[in-house]
Amino acid sequence: MDNTQKAPKVMRESKNRIRVEFEDRTPFWQRMKSKIFSMYFLTNVVWYLFRFILMIGVSYVILFPFFSKIAGSFMSPSDFVDPTVCVIPKSPTLDIYKAIILENGYLSALFNTIVLSLSTALIQTFVAALVGYGLCKFKFKGNSVVMIFVIITMIIPHETIRLSMMQHFRYFDIGGVQGLNIPGLIQGIVGIFGGHIEINLMESFAPLILLSVFGLGFKNGLYIFMMRQFFTGVPDELEESAYVDGSNTFRTFFQIILPLSIPMMVTIFLFAFCWQWTDDFYTGIFFTGDGPIRLMPDILEIPKSLETAASYAAQKLYYTAINNTCGIMIILPLVILYLFCQKFLVQGIERSGLVG
Amino acid sequence: MNQAQNNVSAPVVEAPVKKKKPVSLTKRKARAGWLFVLPFVVGLLVLYIPIILDSICFSFFEIIPTTSGYSLQFQGIKFYHQALFVNATFTTTLVAGIKQLLVDTPMILIFSLFIAVVLNQKMMGRAAFRAIFFIPVVLSTGLMETINASDTLSDYMGGGSGGGISDGSGTNASSEIVSAVDIERLFEGLKIGTGLVEYVSNAVNSIYDIVNRSGVQMLIFLAGLQGISPSIYEASSIEGATAWETFWKITFPMISPMILVNAIYTIIDSFTSQSNVVMSFIAGIYQNSQATATAMSWIYFIVIMAIIGLFVLIASSFVFYQRRDS
Repeated sequence: MDNTQKAPKVMRESKNRIRVEFEDRTPFWQRMKSKIFSMYFLTNVVWYLFRFILMIGVSYVILFPFFSKIAGSFMSPSDFVDPTVCVIPKSPTLDIYKAIILENGYLSALFNTIVLSLSTALIQTFVAALVGYGLCKFKFKGNSVVMIFVIITMIIPHETIRLSMMQHFRYFDIGGVQGLNIPGLIQGIVGIFGGHIEINLMESFAPLILLSVFGLGFKNGLYIFMMRQFFTGVPDELEESAYVDGSNTFRTFFQIILPLSIPMMVTIFLFAFCWQWTDDFYTGIFFTGDGPIRLMPDILEIPKSLETAASYAAQKLYYTAINNTCGIMIILPLVILYLFCQKFLVQGIERSGLVG
Repeated sequence: MNQAQNNVSAPVVEAPVKKKKPVSLTKRKARAGWLFVLPFVVGLLVLYIPIILDSICFSFFEIIPTTSGYSLQFQGIKFYHQALFVNATFTTTLVAGIKQLLVDTPMILIFSLFIAVVLNQKMMGRAAFRAIFFIPVVLSTGLMETINASDTLSDYMGGGSGGGISDGSGTNASSEIVSAVDIERLFEGLKIGTGLVEYVSNAVNSIYDIVNRSGVQMLIFLAGLQGISPSIYEASSIEGATAWETFWKITFPMISPMILVNAIYTIIDSFTSQSNVVMSFIAGIYQNSQATATAMSWIYFIVIMAIIGLFVLIASSFVFYQRRDS
């Protein structure tokens, strides 16, 4: 009686791999046919193509303005009136770059902005970690009140506090007694020593640094919130075991929690650095542009030597190209930073435990 | 023996000894907690709350510069009155801005959720796409926003009809990717109202704006999607659920807290950004009358708060929270 199937042949290919051969295996073509013409396969292919095209399309939408900016930055004035030039310039020059670097004071602006962004971003990251940790891991009275205030700082629009922010740092006065029009204690003390002292913090880094130290800078509420969400994902047992081993709160924080949260802190640092870099609201309040410190917003102007370089017909487009080139020069350092840090950005967010 | 006696009598006889008693752990932890949040709390009390109070003050007072600083003169609700009834365009701008907000928010949410779902799947070049998609988060803020707004060059390079991307500045018909007519033709047999057709064509045409504004939302959704345990999907696929069912019955409920967070974030983000209609209007007013501008932004703030409150109230009953078994 040999109507049962033969036992499949088992061959040993290598040390931990075997190959099983069936006698009456379905022919290759039949297998492929049933695979390719099944609905499942077809939907998958369609979805795959659709997804790929969509992704490429959206990437194009994101990248196109950058391409056009870069292309425009190399064009000479004659290219803008030439109807045959669309994207690739016929007579490429570096005039615009040269003029921006030499006349608009790009290098000093770059240096100042690096100092400002780096210092504020470092302080903001650290303070956000500190406050976020305190809000997450310690249950004290007023915890939720502080959290509500963090959210409030996030949602009050900047425009609302613009005027009073400026007044506060123009006539700097801790406690704000002067602003409330109450004959203040500090005023009184100063009055005894003769005269009125006016502390003007405008045109310096002080207001931004001060705001960062207090965790009130640009979008700091969001950083604190992100840090807090991250720490909820860190198990309590970790700290408990540290406490059992005799470590105090601060040592636990610096030696155990901080090294753990480096991906998240890099993310926040990246946000803080980039957003401070391109920020024109706070810098617009505290720097009028006439002061000694040049920052990135100040280089956004038409260089003198290029003002009359283009003919009337090309002028509008040429000015736009110059503006765009300023934009490229402003974000160039950020692009380099982003290329190195984007892995951290995605990882940090994914691990943040933002869930729930 | 002696020791025990001491212990018993100590609280009664020597009160100072009792004070030396070590503080309980919860109390010590509370103190440490306050120490950690100290920078923020100090900043809040010393800087932020005075600034906020001042800001409220400034909308009621007139600032008169003097030789030593400034003095304030009480004006009552004059500036609010000015904002609401004297200034002809504020209320219309406000209504238009809110309308815009209500239109934009769902578009941004749908788009970012869709992209996040796609980016979460395994596909060719996923890392590269992710890197590209998060570029706007980092680069298209603040200064770049103002530069982009005045960028006529990309319209020019788009070559007129067809290829151009409207980045908010190009309102001319030639730079639109699709017009309402195209979509109308597509939906001809479906008996969809013109409102919806316009909405869709608007959405397609302002794709650049939407992509730029949905970066953080994408990140949050992606984090949420990563948090859903794969075993749930596995179980449902074994039970024979299709991808469509899986999305609506698993992904959507699990992601609903993220949708709430993102909706609030989108509203806040778009109403604090300077490209916003109302915000740019207020910034324009600021040049002439700072107090009126402050009053206006407070009115705007209250309106937006009301919208967010209403939204949270309605949405929170639909949000599904997974119970943690920890």
